[in-house]
Amino acid sequence: MSGERDQQRPMEAADAAVHWFARLQDEAVTGDDWLAFEQWLAADPAHAAAYERLEGLWVDLDDLGEGVAAAMDAPVSLAAHRAVRAGQGLSRRGWLAAGAGLAASIAVGVGVANWPMTPVDTYATAPGQTRQLTLADGSKVWMNAGSRLDVRFERRARRVEMAEGEAAFDVTHDPQRPFLIATGDREVRVVGTEFNLRQRADDFALTVRRGVVEVRPDGAADAKPTRVAAGQQLTHKRGTTVGTLSATTPDAAFAWTRGQLVYTDATLSEVAADLSRSLGTPVRVADAATGRMRFTGVLTLDDKDVVLRRLEAFAPVRAERGPTGVTLRRR
Amino acid sequence: MTDARSALLAAYLERREDLVRFFAMRLKSPAAGEDLVQDIYLRIAAVEPGVDVRNAAGYLYRLGSNLMLDKIRGERRSAARDHDWRDSHRTVVGADEVSEEPPADATVAARQRLEAVVAVLKELPDQTQRVFRMHKFDGLSHTEVAQTLGISRSAVEKHCMAALKRLAERLR
Repeated sequence: MSGERDQQRPMEAADAAVHWFARLQDEAVTGDDWLAFEQWLAADPAHAAAYERLEGLWVDLDDLGEGVAAAMDAPVSLAAHRAVRAGQGLSRRGWLAAGAGLAASIAVGVGVANWPMTPVDTYATAPGQTRQLTLADGSKVWMNAGSRLDVRFERRARRVEMAEGEAAFDVTHDPQRPFLIATGDREVRVVGTEFNLRQRADDFALTVRRGVVEVRPDGAADAKPTRVAAGQQLTHKRGTTVGTLSATTPDAAFAWTRGQLVYTDATLSEVAADLSRSLGTPVRVADAATGRMRFTGVLTLDDKDVVLRRLEAFAPVRAERGPTGVTLRRR
Repeated sequence: MTDARSALLAAYLERREDLVRFFAMRLKSPAAGEDLVQDIYLRIAAVEPGVDVRNAAGYLYRLGSNLMLDKIRGERRSAARDHDWRDSHRTVVGADEVSEEPPADATVAARQRLEAVVAVLKELPDQTQRVFRMHKFDGLSHTEVAQTLGISRSAVEKHCMAALKRLAERLR
């Protein structure tokens, strides 16, 4: 029915206009995105009208800015984000820790039919959960627990943003569309290869099993990349300018995909953090001395109690089960 | 890292025609489009060399769009002054206008509008309020909001969309 269509059209235009408006404020938007926006605007007078209405709203809000800020509760300390603004550089990093506590994960869905831009697909795993994905280009991704990926395939690039987590990638070869992963303050560029990427808090670790992967500071497309070849591992701490490239046995980094954790001289704090994610139960160390103990061995992740018993057998610790999780204490 | 200005200049030269076409359409006038793109060129010289230009072409379009919004803003403000209260409510001492206070009814209208906006924003989830406020009212970029809150840029975008959508639906 034509009446129904006419009812629907302005609604769609309004939603699409909101998408474009918010999307185009992002710094990573490309010239091609703007060309796509131009096409959308020109496609229908209702599109331009809806977009202009938003611009009017946006400008109107400026006049209310002070009042709105005063009337709303201060959800984030103003001093905190003013400092971010003033910092404009590495000093921002200090605020990440402060911000992390506020980063409750909320999924906001705005449904739009026929959304004209490349959509972003978000994949997330909870603690204790892993997930295998096949992306639209046939690339395979195996996500470890407590990870999140935003995937966006554009005409000239396949883009993945991994704010936090660990995943093993087997990327299909496509020289026309490089596979780019942004994580922490690094960008990983892939042509076609298999590797494991881990970003936990500030620590980045990339292990390549097959092929070659290039790593640059995120946002510095011209920087000379670090090339990581099969059998090598690159580690880097966020905010620093250096990384460490070393020879490794790639299978150890991929072990989690087989349900195993493999450690060579790791600290018990690291083991506890991995177990918390993999078992879905908080696992803590009782004190700093326990956290500094060293552990070498393979833990197979099957049953939680069995895993903890194995850990007790391999290391001089006792796993105390309490109502809020497990505490590892030196024996 | 290469100098931000030279990256922008290169993008400007490459995209000039696209920019003129785009802003001519947006401003519904080829001459106004040409002027605006000229303004973009002048702004490139003023860009700080260290500024984070993640994508030079996108940066130019955004710069131009902000110049356009500044224009709309200026027009609206002077229109509001002229039509709403200026002519009916001015105090002149010699040749100078001394009254800067809007009359009571304009103040009431502004307060009602403010209350309506705040009411809509307060219905949103906390994180959405926070993101929108930091971006819109505190002037942080999407990247800065993402870094401050420890979320992805696409999440910032989604929160902004949700807030805008609600405001656009509810405010007339």
